[in-house]
Amino acid sequence: MSRDSGRQADTVSRRKYLLTSAAVGAAGLAGCSGNSGDGSDGSDGSDGSDGESGSDDGSNTIESSSSGPSTVTAEGSSTVYPISNKGSSYWNSNSPASDGEYWGANDESSVAGWDQIETDMNIADYFASLYGFEPSGERSNPPFATRVALSHSGTGCEAVRDGLVDIGNSSGPITAELDISEDERDENYVDHVVGRDGQPVFVSQAIYDAGVEQLTGEQIRGIYQGDITNWSEVGGPDSEIFVVGRAEGSGTDTSFRLNMLGDADAPMDVDSRFGQNQQVQQVLQDNDNAIGYMALAFSGSGIQAIGIEFEGTLFEPDADAENTIFDSEYPLNRDLHMYTRINEETPDGTDMREAAFLNMFLTEFGQQTFVEDVNYITLPTSDIEAEREKLPDQA
Amino acid sequence: MSLTPQPDWRASIERRLTRTQEFVDDTDPEALAVVLVSMGSLLAAFVGFLLASPWTAVPLGVFLIATGYGWARHQALVARAVTFAMTTVTLVTLGLIVVFIFAESIPAFQYETASVFGVSVPGLGMFTQARWDAVSEPVRYSLLPMIHGTVMVTTIATLVAAPLGVAAALFIAEIAPPRVRELVKPGIEILAGIPSIVYGFIGFTIINPWAGGAFALNGGSTYLFVGIVVGLMALPTVVSVAEDALTSVPDVMKDGSLALGATDWQSMTSITLPAAFSGVSAAVLLGVGRAIGETMAATVMLAGIPRISEPLVNVFYGYETLTSLIARGYGSANGVHESALFAAGVVLFVTVLCLSIGSQYIEARMRRRLGGIE
Repeated sequence: MSRDSGRQADTVSRRKYLLTSAAVGAAGLAGCSGNSGDGSDGSDGSDGSDGESGSDDGSNTIESSSSGPSTVTAEGSSTVYPISNKGSSYWNSNSPASDGEYWGANDESSVAGWDQIETDMNIADYFASLYGFEPSGERSNPPFATRVALSHSGTGCEAVRDGLVDIGNSSGPITAELDISEDERDENYVDHVVGRDGQPVFVSQAIYDAGVEQLTGEQIRGIYQGDITNWSEVGGPDSEIFVVGRAEGSGTDTSFRLNMLGDADAPMDVDSRFGQNQQVQQVLQDNDNAIGYMALAFSGSGIQAIGIEFEGTLFEPDADAENTIFDSEYPLNRDLHMYTRINEETPDGTDMREAAFLNMFLTEFGQQTFVEDVNYITLPTSDIEAEREKLPDQA
Repeated sequence: MSLTPQPDWRASIERRLTRTQEFVDDTDPEALAVVLVSMGSLLAAFVGFLLASPWTAVPLGVFLIATGYGWARHQALVARAVTFAMTTVTLVTLGLIVVFIFAESIPAFQYETASVFGVSVPGLGMFTQARWDAVSEPVRYSLLPMIHGTVMVTTIATLVAAPLGVAAALFIAEIAPPRVRELVKPGIEILAGIPSIVYGFIGFTIINPWAGGAFALNGGSTYLFVGIVVGLMALPTVVSVAEDALTSVPDVMKDGSLALGATDWQSMTSITLPAAFSGVSAAVLLGVGRAIGETMAATVMLAGIPRISEPLVNVFYGYETLTSLIARGYGSANGVHESALFAAGVVLFVTVLCLSIGSQYIEARMRRRLGGIE
């Protein structure tokens, strides 16, 4: 009997629990809808956001007042993510100029490129004020917040096309990602290049140690198109080649085909395809006969970048060599894009919020901190000038 | 032929009408009004949702208020209406998903049109040739390599999960002393709670590198080990459901067998197992369903190259399954490529539908044969 009554108590408590959780859920829902209502009210007064703000502001607690500009959102490529995300983190911290490590200068240190900035304002306040936003003067409270989501180049381009985000991060050109013509691109999007990515070719440590320290472009083409299947054919040990490619049709895949195989839809014959840089890195470490290509940021132990000879020039992975894989002449380098959408509210394609955020990457400080420090290649000065031309005039 | 059933229909419609009339007459008009308002506004909300109208919230709010009021005043009637509405919502959701998947896959089926005997059949090209290449010419979207992969993985997984699962269920239900059962059952259920990516991660970081070395494979992706891992993941489902089926065989039947002098083992094989056969097969089919739909483990462990292994039964290759194709490709696919991924979803849907119908059929047949025993 006692056991039975115990069970009954059990069911009662479960019912109570369900009721309670339902009540809590309903309260949460009510809270959410209240928030998003406020948020969309606020964004009406802002400077031309694209209508995505309703969903953004619902969860945004960073903004101090509901009448402020809406959050700048970005989404896309895992390759552009480190740059975009580091920039966003710095922005949202709104560190004061006395910080020295993340922004500004003090007795001990100063950030890169500080001599060109020299301001008393906090980091986000400074860049936002260049485009006419009121500085907040408080750390962790930027004039508007930024948020970066991680997905894929194609997804990022689709998101900016459909107005889900302000900025679409892509490691491949949007023309290839969305299969649109260059005219369509110029009509609808503004392409902001914030840095370059070298796609070094990596081999397993064992292969490198056995003497394969460099390959010609022709050899790599042979390996990736199935004509060369044994390392002994390119001066290595007698072992099969484990050829690692990237997810079919991804930004990395497309630009490798374009730059290395000569055509964006050149045929390939590989043994394995992975979607993420980390997976390629892991597989190259786990196998002793693998070759793969991935973003420079993912080099590590157990794998070695190799030099590649193109048309008589040897590009080496060593930064001090005459020609290096960091040079813009290296054929496997690709631009890292942040696309913004041209629409009725922003005929220039880039509104003031986006411009303030993007401009941060186009300074010496931004290039050093957000591009070079995460192992990507910085833009030459002339390219930076050209990129800044695409932004609206500063206030 | 068509004339005879008509009077029947008419009669049944008339009967139904009179019954509805009686029901309306018997019910409190206010309660009726509340239910009508509540259900009508739910329908309006659904229509608003389909049209993506910004006013959807209004009928939804009316529904909530009407239902809340009705719940307080006329609980029994409102509860009937609400439970019916919730069942409908489930079915409508299923219907919408099916329509969406099919609609999205149409471009791929059109692209892969092939002609047989002069008749062009959309989608036939997906099953008559084996080339999948979404990027380089000729761009083809054959699903055969992925179907082959799914069949391989599912077969191996079933070979792992079915004998192990049924044996474990038999042990727990019939042989184990109560204390062991109390310990083992929760253990198995915890196994079911481990997320599939954890299995996949273990497979990717430990099994694949090991298999690559141990069997001198290029890489280390094999259908064999993916199948074993997926089989282990399906195991808890099989054990739980089969154990329930075995325990629900009435003791009377076993007692009768024992009274006739059969040993425990003889009663198990000749009474308990046959009596619970429908439940046990349902358990195995559920396990198969789990194996077909398993995505994460397959995606991280397989090579991701749509290709058919040679010879067909070579389990030491691991290329791609239908689910891993979708998981790997969704981010970078667009246009016909994306639509081809939906076509893979259609194939999966049809397969799981057939499995589900098959298990219902087996169950119905066993029920007929055993008469009265569920």
